[in-house]
Amino acid sequence: MTDALEAARDEQRSALTEAEAKELLASRGLSVPDGETVTSSEEAVEAAERIGYPVVVKVASPAVQHKSEWGSGVGVNVNLTTPDEVRTAAVDIFEAADREGIDAAVFVEEAADLEAGLEVIVGGTRDPSFGPTVLVGLGGITVEVLQDTSHRIAPISTAEAVAMTRELEASPLFDGYRGSPAVDREAVAEAIVTVGEVLDANEEIREIEINPLLAESDRAVALDALVSLDD
Amino acid sequence: MSVTDLFDPRGIAVVGASETSGKIGYEAMQNAVEFDGPVYPVNPSASGTIFGREFVSSVTEIDGEVDLALCCVPAPIVPDVIEDCGKAGIGGAVVFAGGFGEAGPDGEELEERLIEAASEGDVALLGPNTSGFLVPEEHLFATFATDVDTIPAGNVAVVAQSGGLAYAIAFQAENEGVGVSAMVGLGNRANVGFEEAIEYFDGDAKTDSIVLHVEGTDDGRGLLETCRRVETPVVAYNVGEQDVGDFAESHTGALTGEYELYEAGFAQYGVPTVRTSTELLDAGTALASSPRPDGPNVGVVTAQAGPGIAITDRLKAAGANLPSLTEETQDIVEEILPGITFSANPVDTGRPMPEFGDVVAAVARDDNIDIVLVYELYEGGLGYPTDTLAAVVDEVQKPIVFASGGPEAVINEELAELEALGIPTFTAPERGADAVSALVQYAKRNAGPDAAVAGEEVSVDD
Repeated sequence: MTDALEAARDEQRSALTEAEAKELLASRGLSVPDGETVTSSEEAVEAAERIGYPVVVKVASPAVQHKSEWGSGVGVNVNLTTPDEVRTAAVDIFEAADREGIDAAVFVEEAADLEAGLEVIVGGTRDPSFGPTVLVGLGGITVEVLQDTSHRIAPISTAEAVAMTRELEASPLFDGYRGSPAVDREAVAEAIVTVGEVLDANEEIREIEINPLLAESDRAVALDALVSLDD
Repeated sequence: MSVTDLFDPRGIAVVGASETSGKIGYEAMQNAVEFDGPVYPVNPSASGTIFGREFVSSVTEIDGEVDLALCCVPAPIVPDVIEDCGKAGIGGAVVFAGGFGEAGPDGEELEERLIEAASEGDVALLGPNTSGFLVPEEHLFATFATDVDTIPAGNVAVVAQSGGLAYAIAFQAENEGVGVSAMVGLGNRANVGFEEAIEYFDGDAKTDSIVLHVEGTDDGRGLLETCRRVETPVVAYNVGEQDVGDFAESHTGALTGEYELYEAGFAQYGVPTVRTSTELLDAGTALASSPRPDGPNVGVVTAQAGPGIAITDRLKAAGANLPSLTEETQDIVEEILPGITFSANPVDTGRPMPEFGDVVAAVARDDNIDIVLVYELYEGGLGYPTDTLAAVVDEVQKPIVFASGGPEAVINEELAELEALGIPTFTAPERGADAVSALVQYAKRNAGPDAAVAGEEVSVDD
């Protein structure tokens, strides 16, 4: 069990923070953006300078599940390119947290170029009847509208996970379409395998969702991750 | 707990046996006396005889070998009856009554008491809330349903979560002259569920395939693991596709429905899945009566273009592979039928002809082909190529599925001859195609680790 899971359980939290979730997945070999959790606006700027612009600045708190809807929309700030923008975003987050009376830190992260890849959702849930299960689908609104997903009972092999991606109606998009580059199907498969293994190995995890996982030509990066724990 | 006491009893007690026609206790007794073994009517408030058997006041008073009790009594007294069964050493019981786990908190409490009585007395209990089971070959009709003795004996075991659907399939089998080795409605699955039933029929000499109707269980993984473990082929009809969640919490939760998990899980664990009860019966029949396919590659031989095209279309939509025939086979076919309409795959002979059986034989012998699907409308002067197929089916040890059309009164007898050879027959092109699709799924899903990926399909030359 990782430290983050242990800490979350001790504090009786229902989920890991995004940074903790990404750390857990990264420790199992998944690619995540370069990022840092900080507790002041100056530290946020320092982190951004180290990471390199553009960056994303997000609220980091166990009390906040839906970051983009939190604090009148100050919870997620994308594509920041200057120290001033980073400082302002961080200050807004700390002020909103004070207003709401919650403990919050700020998560500064390397910005991703969504154009450089295909947005995929990879998830897994502990079903009461089947135990650990995994799914893959195309990310964004497509998954809601078309429900183009593939499922398996976990844990599974990489070959089985590749087969899942091939079952999707959207599978040809992985191979490149109208000039867009082919993406790393194997890396998506590895992410599915990892989600299944983490669920299988940690009874206290109820659900994992990586949405989006950005599939690029030579890797797949978890841009957002949610790890929910048993209540 | 021994499920054998339940499904293969030496004698039967009908608890709540009644002389009043139309009551469950009467109908169950009427069915039970067909059994070739002792049958005891049990009813403390009745005396004399019923169907020539003397009433006994309690199961504990029976002087004879009884393994199965048919409980035709109201729900509230069922737990006491099961307790008595335990004392009497009766190891199997069917509980027809509803009003248990499906009927709110009081019912749940009653079911808990029932399960407790069954565990303490070591009683394998089918139900509650079931219409029972049948084993036609043994004249064992553990049910209150009427006219069940019309259902012929066969080699497909029907195991349905719903008793109603179990009968729907069994009577369809009867309508079509197909038999079942057993038909079981599981009902509430108090202590005999899918796993126990599948394991029992896997070891049953009369059963060559097991077909499941699944609405949802609380141990889906256990069911899948049982299906993988058993030797007998299993096919599943999983109901509930339209139960979709909303996206309130997360996509993963909303998108992972029980239906999706069953469909994915059955594929992962080597179980073909179907969309209708007719397909379930057809797939079960095909798997039970023909050799297991070594691979997913289908050779289609048709005497008429239209049905052949419909079949090919349907097979391809189901993910079947129709590889080219070897040069050798194509040469043989062209020698038999110079200028043949189409001699790759499907092979279309244009019309029935004396050499039709030889064409089927050539395709069946082809190394690229694992499964053969034949379509031929019946032609009076020719009949079916039964003799040729009899020799081929033994030689190649591959499934050969035969679909046809013709006047019922004429073809039924000839189709029965083919079936006796282990050639499943169907009277609609699509039903033949669907049965073959189930064989293809079976081959693909059981081709070893990561079967869905590996395939071992022969490449198609377009």
